[in-house]
Amino acid sequence: MSGLIHLLNSIGVPSSVLSEASFYVLAVLVCVFAFLVVTSRNVFHSAVYLALALIGVAGIYLYLNAEFLAVVQVLIYVGAVVTLFIFAIMLTARIHDQAIRQTNEQVLVSAVVTLALLYLLINIVENLPSRTGGPGTKTLAIGRLGELLMKDYALPFEVISLVLLAALVGAIVIGKEKRG
Amino acid sequence: MVRVAHYIPLCPLAAAVVNIVIGSRIKKASSLVSVFASVVAFVLSVLTFIGFRNGLMSYAVADWIAIGGLSVRLGVTIDALTCLMLLVVTIVGTLIQIYSIGYMHDDKRFSRFFAYMSLFMGSMLGLLLADNFVVLMIFWEGVGVCSYLLISFWFEKPSAARAGLKAFVTTRIGDTGMLLGMLLLLFAAKTLYFSDLAELSQDPSINQNLLVVAAFLIFCGAVGKSAQFPLHVWLPDAMEGPTPVSALIHAATMVAAGVYLVARSYALFIAHQPSLIWVAYIGSITALMAATIAVVNNDIKRILAYSTISQLGLMMVGLGVGGFTAGTFHLMTHAFFKALLFLCAGSVIHAVHTQDIREMGGLLSKLKITGATFIVGSLAIAGVPPLAGFWSKDELLAEIWKNGHPVLFVLATVTSFLTAFYMFRLIFLVLFGKTRSELHPHESPAVMTVPLSILAFCSIFGGFLGSPLMHNWFQGLVHFGETHAVHAEGPNYAVMGISVLVGLGGIGLAYLLYMTKYSTVPGRLCTRFAAIHRLLVNKYYFDELYDVVFVRTVFRLSSWLSRFDLGVVDGAVNAVAWITMFGSYLKAWFDLHVVDGAVNLVAAIVGFCSAGLRRLQTGLVQAYLLIAFVGLIIIILVRLKGG
Amino acid sequence: MIPESHFLILSAVLFAIGVFGALTRRNAIGILMSIELILNAANINLVCFSHHLSTAQGSPEGLGQILALFVIAIAAAAAVVGLVLVLAIYRNAKTVFVDRINLMKW
Repeated sequence: MSGLIHLLNSIGVPSSVLSEASFYVLAVLVCVFAFLVVTSRNVFHSAVYLALALIGVAGIYLYLNAEFLAVVQVLIYVGAVVTLFIFAIMLTARIHDQAIRQTNEQVLVSAVVTLALLYLLINIVENLPSRTGGPGTKTLAIGRLGELLMKDYALPFEVISLVLLAALVGAIVIGKEKRG
Repeated sequence: MVRVAHYIPLCPLAAAVVNIVIGSRIKKASSLVSVFASVVAFVLSVLTFIGFRNGLMSYAVADWIAIGGLSVRLGVTIDALTCLMLLVVTIVGTLIQIYSIGYMHDDKRFSRFFAYMSLFMGSMLGLLLADNFVVLMIFWEGVGVCSYLLISFWFEKPSAARAGLKAFVTTRIGDTGMLLGMLLLLFAAKTLYFSDLAELSQDPSINQNLLVVAAFLIFCGAVGKSAQFPLHVWLPDAMEGPTPVSALIHAATMVAAGVYLVARSYALFIAHQPSLIWVAYIGSITALMAATIAVVNNDIKRILAYSTISQLGLMMVGLGVGGFTAGTFHLMTHAFFKALLFLCAGSVIHAVHTQDIREMGGLLSKLKITGATFIVGSLAIAGVPPLAGFWSKDELLAEIWKNGHPVLFVLATVTSFLTAFYMFRLIFLVLFGKTRSELHPHESPAVMTVPLSILAFCSIFGGFLGSPLMHNWFQGLVHFGETHAVHAEGPNYAVMGISVLVGLGGIGLAYLLYMTKYSTVPGRLCTRFAAIHRLLVNKYYFDELYDVVFVRTVFRLSSWLSRFDLGVVDGAVNAVAWITMFGSYLKAWFDLHVVDGAVNLVAAIVGFCSAGLRRLQTGLVQAYLLIAFVGLIIIILVRLKGG
Repeated sequence: MIPESHFLILSAVLFAIGVFGALTRRNAIGILMSIELILNAANINLVCFSHHLSTAQGSPEGLGQILALFVIAIAAAAAVVGLVLVLAIYRNAKTVFVDRINLMKW
């Protein structure tokens, strides 16, 4: 990779341009994969595309100086959540499901609504009020993150763990097979 | 001098009330109540007569009406005419009521009969005592009502009911005329008192023509009540009533009320000669016509009824030619012997249970008292001296001749001849000859024969009161103006002779035709003069004529009116009802379609909307989610636009 | 440098795609996957703001990233519960297609 960067440097493309360009490529890839998630006929393919999209998002995090978060994303989201999805798909898949269409009747209306929403959101984004401050370059150190979690945000942290506990218990209860 | 006159009508009226109220309880005793009341009335009449002779005059009893121009005072007239009439009516009435105790013995409405009789007596006596037209009219109507009630006493017989109605309606026609006459008199002369009538003709401020018309109209009432031509048709039919009723009302008293009316208002008539002459001519037509009908009739009571009509006609002739005294004298004698004749007829009917003289015969031997009194009465009416009828009839004929009416004289004489003839035809066919009845007749009980005897006595000796033998006591008492001076001339023997001749001649002819070998002559005459015979038997077709001209017309009119009422009036009411129904039908339609339609429309809209909105509940979460996002877009838009 | 708005546009696009998927997918698991996309879009937003405001006056340090962390945890919990529910429904109704599970339909 560094060789490629050196190569590009030698022909006069600065590293920053390269990194910027690769961001846009990555962004497009994420969008494409996300789109494939929602339009794929095979739900299993959707899961795979989801995994890829989430990996892409992790890459985006890198551009935002959130390395820890990128790692956590890959580990938890892609590694656990998507796996879970695939388990569920496997358990509920049927042979003839492939022939059935995956999208329901309100596609057109939803498309319209979605596009409208998108337009509005971009409008908002474009018209954000200016404010002081700018991007920093410092990465949040893991130690510092841990410190924040344990000290400043200890309460939400504990609550989250309770939520996870509840989800766990609930999943077990609902997922239990009825005896008799 | 006691003023008891006004109590005279009250006694029988009280008896009538008692009999009406408790009659069904006391049954046979009700007759005693009535008779007692009549006797008391008789006693009071005697007292009043004595009072009159001692100078008692008409007096007032109470004030009654005082409205505007009309003031009516209740009072009694006390003069010779009224007093003598009171005596006659009470005597005859009492005797007839005693007779009725026997005659009506088995009737189931015994007490009702006597109640009606007492009511009649009270009304008649009140009529005689009235001193003005209003009070007279009241009692006039009273006797009319009693006549109606008593004629149709046996109302289960349809003929009796019809006869009562016919009597009432026919006399009503006369009464209408009388009422109009009264009103005209009130309008012209401003008074209705009999005592004022004498001065009216002298008063220049009064229109005399109106008074003439009033007299004619008042006479109409007399024509109706006294069964004169042309309103005579009710009296023969009135024989449907019990015989005592016929005797009292339709022979002796009520029919005499017409004659009394003319006599009472004589001042009005005599001042206007046309009205008086009219009275005479009507009377003579009536007398002759009725006599001719009686000649061919075969019903014992109807013969007597036509005889009554005829004799009343003669009384009218007498009054009409100026013979006030003669007319009233005959009125009183006629009351006695006509009542007697009717009661005898009743006794005969009681014995043989038939009224057809062709089924009777040879009854003299079986019914001795009845037969003897019957002959007495017939002799009286035939004018055979020295019985009562001779004196009064002779007086009439003399008066007619004296006042210069030869035509009327001849007519009256012929009528007298016919009277004697048909009466003795009746006598010979009923009492003599072969017995044609199959029943075993027996004499009536004493309660019936005693009154017969008493009346026979009166018929024999009553006439002497007006004869020269008693110095014309009657004429001296009962007169109008200065008439009594005329009798100073002495009796007209020529007229007397003619009347006796005529009477005996009639009896003789009857004897010849019905008792001797010439008894086939009547039969041959009937076939020879069949047309005339038919005319007489059918009473000159008066009933048929009236039926066609009046009765049918009235029925047609009333059926037309009934149709009008049903069709137009009821139709109008029905139309209104129909319109109302139609209106309510419209309203119902409106209510159903428009109002309910509006309500239903609201419901339908709600249903439609909810049916539409219900589709939102797809049960699909994604649909709800879509809507939520649409809402989100809207909120964002609002926020963006709103700044 | 990449301007802030581009990250935000990316996040918006991801969000829109996720919404579209949530509205149109028939498979319940498909819907859950779309929801994961939405949550990720939100995460990108949070991290972007955290990064671009880190030098602003009084801004909390690293709050965005910590929030994103929490979101990931919650998303995982939500996915767990959701999938368990899908499995339970699959056991009962023998289908995972949400438009067949419409007992609340009129």
